[in-house]
Amino acid sequence: MISLQTLVAEVKNLQPIPAVAGQLLAVAEHPDSSMADIARVIQYDPVITAGVLRTCNSAYFGMKNPVESIKDAVNLLGIDQVIELALLKSGSQALGGSQKGYGMDEGDMWRYSVSSAVLAKQVAVRLGLKGKNTIFTAALIKDMGKIVLEKYVADAAKKITDLVENQHFSFQEAEKKALGIDHAELGAMIAKIWKFSPRMVNIIRHHHLSDETKIADKQIAAVYLADCLSMMLGNGVGADGLAYRFKDQVMKHLGISAVDMSMIIADFGINMQEVETLLQMA
Amino acid sequence: MKQIVGVADMKVSNNPGESIITYSLGSCIGLVIYDPAVKVGGILHYMLPDSSIDKQKAAARPYMFADSGIPRLFKTAYQLGAAKQRMKVYVAGGAEILDQQGFFNIGKRNYMALKKMFFKNKVMISAQDVGGNVNRTVRIEIATGDIYVKTSGSGEVKI
Repeated sequence: MISLQTLVAEVKNLQPIPAVAGQLLAVAEHPDSSMADIARVIQYDPVITAGVLRTCNSAYFGMKNPVESIKDAVNLLGIDQVIELALLKSGSQALGGSQKGYGMDEGDMWRYSVSSAVLAKQVAVRLGLKGKNTIFTAALIKDMGKIVLEKYVADAAKKITDLVENQHFSFQEAEKKALGIDHAELGAMIAKIWKFSPRMVNIIRHHHLSDETKIADKQIAAVYLADCLSMMLGNGVGADGLAYRFKDQVMKHLGISAVDMSMIIADFGINMQEVETLLQMA
Repeated sequence: MKQIVGVADMKVSNNPGESIITYSLGSCIGLVIYDPAVKVGGILHYMLPDSSIDKQKAAARPYMFADSGIPRLFKTAYQLGAAKQRMKVYVAGGAEILDQQGFFNIGKRNYMALKKMFFKNKVMISAQDVGGNVNRTVRIEIATGDIYVKTSGSGEVKI
């Protein structure tokens, strides 16, 4: 078992996700916010602004003239796209490394996170859910608990593998059994320390839906579904593989059929070039 | 040289200096074929079993689906001199999430779609590494026809 004190100390040593992400979410999800309000929040952070502008000027967006300000970017790409780019950029440093304990090489977690976020956006749009920026961001950062937990997972690899392969545990259940905490719980703790909203903390905490009473929360269910789809698509998936639980009742609750699921996968396949462009933000 | 097959993509080669690889299959299938007599090999990385869900996408991205991708893989190899009766066939991927059943089990459905087509067309699978809860990467060397599968978190294994 790992002591909470040790974990908190380790979280404090992490390169945090910049505070601007939380502010941006608050402004973006507020119905009275104007485009100018949103642009102002982004401009406040020079690293994120530079990242957004660089991506806007990449070949994928095919701009005739260079995009030189967040205002230009909003005019040319629309506010939703600019918000997404800024949220992605804010997560890129924290999620960019390798997590050897999970068999993830440099960039794997970033690939997995971006794929999950893009899929979550598709799910949110398809189901007409509220709070799509929150859903997008939660899907992006939901696995950040792995950044801290990975070395403990590496130390307990034998036990965890045995629990998963021989005793029918999911990987998350095996983490909890072997270490006393799983990556979803730890991710929620990190989000709390970094002062994300209680909503975000809650979604991260329950993104594998091990507590089935949370199924009624559509934002949690959407992030859960995006995570399942991301696992199935394999992009950046580590040694934990697809060893998590699939819950039919979530699909029923969201009104997602197997055909809908296939359609989301097909849309993702068509948008792979977008995903590849977004990955360059790391 | 390493040729990379993306998601919903296919590559065929007769260049003995090349290897073809496709990464991170998840529930997708990596279908590998090789004719040792002419040293022609290829990999298809498809995502879904059946193109009937969206004909428009199937027309734009035929390698996304088993039914539209598999025939194209074989035909492209035939154009380089490969012959069906000599073809070695390897299948990797088709993984599933725990408790993923019925129509939601796209990994299994991806594999069944391939089995059905092969049965109809009398194609035998030489070796396979499918199902389970693991993420696989598959690679073939054109000069030798050697095939390697790597599972995330473990080393590469020759099959």
